[in-house]
Amino acid sequence: MNTFLKRLLARPEAILFFVLVAEIVFFSVAGRNFNTSDNVANIVRHSAEIGMLALVMMPIILTGGIDLSVGSLLGLCAVIFGVFTHEWKMAMPLAAALTLGVGAMAGGVNAALITVLRLPPLIVTLGTFSLFRGLAEAITKGTMTYRDFSPEFIALGRERWMGLPLQGWLFILIAIGIAVLVHRTTFGRAFRAIGFSPEGSRYAGLPVQRRIAFTYVLAGIVAALAAIVFTARLRQARADAGTGYELQAITAVVLGGTSIFGGVGTVGGTLLGIASVAVLTTGLKLIPAIALAGIGSELGSLLTGALLILALAGGTLAKSLAVRRSRRQSHAAPKPTITT
Amino acid sequence: MKRSTFLTSLLAFALVTACDKKSDSSSAGNSSDGKKLTIALLPKSKGNQYFATVEKGARAAAAELGVELIYDGPTNTDPAKQNEIVEGWVNYGVNVIAAACENREGISGALKAAQEKGIKIVTYDSDTTPDARSFFVNQATAQGIGETLMDTAAKLCGEEGEFAIITATLTAANMTEWRKNIEARLAAKYPKMKLVTTKPCDDQKDKAQAEATNILNAYPNLKCIMAICSPAVPGAAEAVKQAGKAGVVKVLGLGLPSENRQYVKDGVTQAVILWKVEDLGYLTIQAAVAAAKGTLKTGDKTFTSGKLGAMEIQDTDIILGKPFVFTKENIDQFQF
Repeated sequence: MNTFLKRLLARPEAILFFVLVAEIVFFSVAGRNFNTSDNVANIVRHSAEIGMLALVMMPIILTGGIDLSVGSLLGLCAVIFGVFTHEWKMAMPLAAALTLGVGAMAGGVNAALITVLRLPPLIVTLGTFSLFRGLAEAITKGTMTYRDFSPEFIALGRERWMGLPLQGWLFILIAIGIAVLVHRTTFGRAFRAIGFSPEGSRYAGLPVQRRIAFTYVLAGIVAALAAIVFTARLRQARADAGTGYELQAITAVVLGGTSIFGGVGTVGGTLLGIASVAVLTTGLKLIPAIALAGIGSELGSLLTGALLILALAGGTLAKSLAVRRSRRQSHAAPKPTITT
Repeated sequence: MKRSTFLTSLLAFALVTACDKKSDSSSAGNSSDGKKLTIALLPKSKGNQYFATVEKGARAAAAELGVELIYDGPTNTDPAKQNEIVEGWVNYGVNVIAAACENREGISGALKAAQEKGIKIVTYDSDTTPDARSFFVNQATAQGIGETLMDTAAKLCGEEGEFAIITATLTAANMTEWRKNIEARLAAKYPKMKLVTTKPCDDQKDKAQAEATNILNAYPNLKCIMAICSPAVPGAAEAVKQAGKAGVVKVLGLGLPSENRQYVKDGVTQAVILWKVEDLGYLTIQAAVAAAKGTLKTGDKTFTSGKLGAMEIQDTDIILGKPFVFTKENIDQFQF
């Protein structure tokens, strides 16, 4: 038990787990109506789309890449979904399926530029970040908003099944899928290997570029799915949908212990990252003093930033302390052959 | 080991759901239990000086009525954030939500859900769909704006001579409505005045300035330029100033006092027309509290609101009254 605890505590995600528990306990006491099914539903609804993006961002970062374009792609897919349903009068399921196809294609563009032309992911997705958003704005001429979606479709954004909002179930499905992919399949284990050592992976016979391409296409598909959920929740499709979501998704992933250099990270950690940010930002708004002052959102981003920096600094500090301690111990041991 | 983190995160999730208890919705919509009413005021964007002025008026009303006021909104106009804030307030258990809606249809779902929990909904500045709120505090009717603009122009010109209009676009719904009312007033009351031209400026100050310069050249006898979109007022003023016709050709328009203060003080612009934004906030909170207490009901024809006195109600619109004319004499009293 003692060693199990020690091993658990040694993991960076362990600290985050205790942060999450502390948040929940704190907001239960200090917040109003925090422990209610309505609030849980709110947290899930408000973070489902960012959460989905974080889940597919995780394998990308694990390979040592990054995708800055997912938020813009969410906006583009929302607009294209609106064009399909409103201008081309498509049935909802067909429009949704085609939108997922568009997402896959857009992810494919990122993948091709990164794996075929070997351009750095940061630059490629910085380009498509503007490109996708620009396309969305061009389609809507910056002003057009698609509204009046069918009640059955809007239900996807509002209704609950067994107490949990529908998008929550969708999120859980994706989470299980990604967790199995990354941790339980040989296919997905390649992501970590690639991030740890791309050269080594190639020598080991892994199809490095194909695996990397897969992560970006997957991100495109899930960004399209998040766009549909977003549209259902807000009952409108507009070009500015999902602005800034890419950075919030990256925050959740990095907070959850995935190294930005790749090779290190778990899906469980990402889930903890998503949850601790979601609980923090929602809970703050339920504390009477903060709600009355109307500074919930501002304090939310401030504390999320502080949490991220503390978590990263704390992890690095703990590591360097451990290194120093082990070095001191080895210094203390008698070393007869030192002469310089 | 990997499984352990996955399981712990599931455990944390279960922890939230496990201590689930029914929402404390009894506080919502119940004003007779002696607890202070909590009114939530939602602006389109928090940083905008216009809404900061609304807040000022709202705070005054809240202090007068002894209610708690929450003022929160997106930093920039963001319909998604507006929905999230409203949903948060429903959970928090406010009594009334007063909203300026960025997205008419998009926010209606969240507002209806709030109504189902017994929370009263009032809108102001920009309405939602009528079924998602009890009252809309309407800052100005098209008739009020049109008539005030025309009356002020006539007064500046001595009720005779040529004048021109600069609008945003020739098709914008609200401006078309205003122009219709301006022209109706002109035909009915000022036979010696003549509208010589109406030019669009696409809501851009530079273009308004260029159009105004063209108008000044084309109509040497022009007595007045009326700008009915806010960027056009300083635009027209700059053109008149550069043409050296300050005071000769009068400028008036619909806009914010702060954007026109210098021109008004220099005597280039004679009148800026807008509603008193602070009063809009004051009236909104008065109406919100009255709606929660049940003293303001659908079907009422007037609403008595503190220092503002009796306000007319048209259907479910509470009308703030005629727009206000800002001039050299009073403009320094207004900060928005």
